Amino acid sequence: MSRARFYAIGFTVLVLFDTLVQLSFKYAGNHAFPPEANWAWIVRVFGHPWIYVAVIGYVGNFFTWMTLLKHAPIGPAFAVTHLEVVSVMLFSVWLFGEPLTWPRVLGATVIVAGIVCLAFAESDAHPEHDAPTEAKGALGVAAGD
Amino acid sequence: MTPLVVSLWLLNVTLDTVGQLAFKAAAGDPRAGDGVARWKYMLARPWIWVGVASYVAEFLVWIAFLSLVDLSEGVLLGSINIVVIMIAGRLLFKEKLTPLRVTGIALVTAGVALVGLAGGG
Repeated sequence: MSRARFYAIGFTVLVLFDTLVQLSFKYAGNHAFPPEANWAWIVRVFGHPWIYVAVIGYVGNFFTWMTLLKHAPIGPAFAVTHLEVVSVMLFSVWLFGEPLTWPRVLGATVIVAGIVCLAFAESDAHPEHDAPTEAKGALGVAAGD
Repeated sequence: MTPLVVSLWLLNVTLDTVGQLAFKAAAGDPRAGDGVARWKYMLARPWIWVGVASYVAEFLVWIAFLSLVDLSEGVLLGSINIVVIMIAGRLLFKEKLTPLRVTGIALVTAGVALVGLAGGG
């Protein structure tokens, strides 16, 4: 599998897992409200199904991430996964009725612009004649190579 | 943002940075080999466990943080992790900080500052 295809599939899977995890975290936190530094709060967090959805997403995220990290420098790889801010923001408006304020829209735009810069910096660091690297993690196998 | 929200935000950034760098140290080890042998190698060494412990703590801190702010605001504020981890990666793993990367870091920081200073909606 080519490096570009490996990244495209891997990062898409990662963004989907990330979005699911963040939505589940918000649901779990809301059900356990108010947060306290004690055992009772942890019991409340784990007493609701959403935390287990988050755990499943977290585990999927972890294996996808570890597979990607084998070849990607940590900073840019991490940056691309943060495109989730857009998907999570849209879901928050829809599911939680959160206001889409101007500072948030502007902030998200500037952050995404920053993430795009980091993504371009990554492709500059790995030109086409760069030695191709083969993905041998769980994701590479699942994608059929 | 209240002092509690700020504290949870800072704690989250710290735990995330330690966790990510520990996983990078585990996954980037060239002696690890491939497939099952690679996982065995990583699990027998401390870095992956430092990462797991940091993630577990971060998991709880982040849930507490998100229950106090809007999710859309929370994930935007959480973007500061990109900046902190990139600078830490530069210091520890000698990853390159090109002008384009510095621009990206500046933009992400500016966006987070914009959302943070505007306060909760």
